[in-house]
Amino acid sequence: MTAVILAMIAALLIPMVEAFQDEDIWQRMLAFASIATKTSVMILAVSVLRDDWMIGVVGVLILSVGNAALMLLAHVIKRLNEVTEG
Amino acid sequence: MMDSYVYVIMALLPLSALMLVIQTSPYQALVIRGILGAVAALVYAILGGADVALTEALVGTMLSITLFAVAVRSSLVMRLGVLVAPEPSQESLRQSLLAPLRMVLNRYHLRLELVAYPHPEALQQALQAKEVHGICRVDFPLGEETPARVSSTVIAPDLALTAIPSLPSGAESDGSPAAPPRITLRVPRLYEILTTELPPATAQLQTLNGDRTPLTPPLILMEKY
Repeated sequence: MTAVILAMIAALLIPMVEAFQDEDIWQRMLAFASIATKTSVMILAVSVLRDDWMIGVVGVLILSVGNAALMLLAHVIKRLNEVTEG
Repeated sequence: MMDSYVYVIMALLPLSALMLVIQTSPYQALVIRGILGAVAALVYAILGGADVALTEALVGTMLSITLFAVAVRSSLVMRLGVLVAPEPSQESLRQSLLAPLRMVLNRYHLRLELVAYPHPEALQQALQAKEVHGICRVDFPLGEETPARVSSTVIAPDLALTAIPSLPSGAESDGSPAAPPRITLRVPRLYEILTTELPPATAQLQTLNGDRTPLTPPLILMEKY
């Protein structure tokens, strides 16, 4: 199970490198979405590993809230590009 | 005794914080702030602080990012007042001005927002009432004095291609060579940026009180005394 967590950490590093290197704002938003989902799934995996339901509930909440934050931020940035180009 | 993977996860937090600190663009920094919030929530949850992780995700990531995005969006902008529905020749002249202007402003992470007004009086009134940061006039009256360098050759080279289709209409209207657009700015810092970085042939800059001299010499004098 620890090996699974370590593999998840390695997978988490891929979008972090992508977010650091790519200058395009939408590529960074994609990396943000990937990281937000991956961290939430990691919290769920750790909660199963430790058999701790409190952490599990928090993981589910963060998974949904992270997606909501992403939608809000994407909407603001989309409006911003429309104003700039229009 | 903590497991070994906890140390690896904890190392992600300073890594993402470093990524956030070395960002220069405000919008890119907002996205990295979201990444930092997600990693911080992961670290807090794994270290046993479930309530702290939930607060970090709700307030630190969702609320603060949304508020910061709204703040950055409304503050880092240059509002330029223009006249609505100009003639085709003036429209091409205006487009040739906006491209280098956007390029200069992008270097300072500023956006350019055009605000259209129906007639020149409303434009001037909007500048006086501080609704816009500057106004752009393409069609200022011929009787006004223009600098000696104004001629058809001072227009940016890429305009020569775009202006060809509208050449007959411009030629039969007055026949005089087109002058560069005149931008009147209210904000001194914007005047400094545009005088130093905008190509001098693309526009004619002046401040609100008609001053064309750069603002830096008085500041240097003030520092001396």
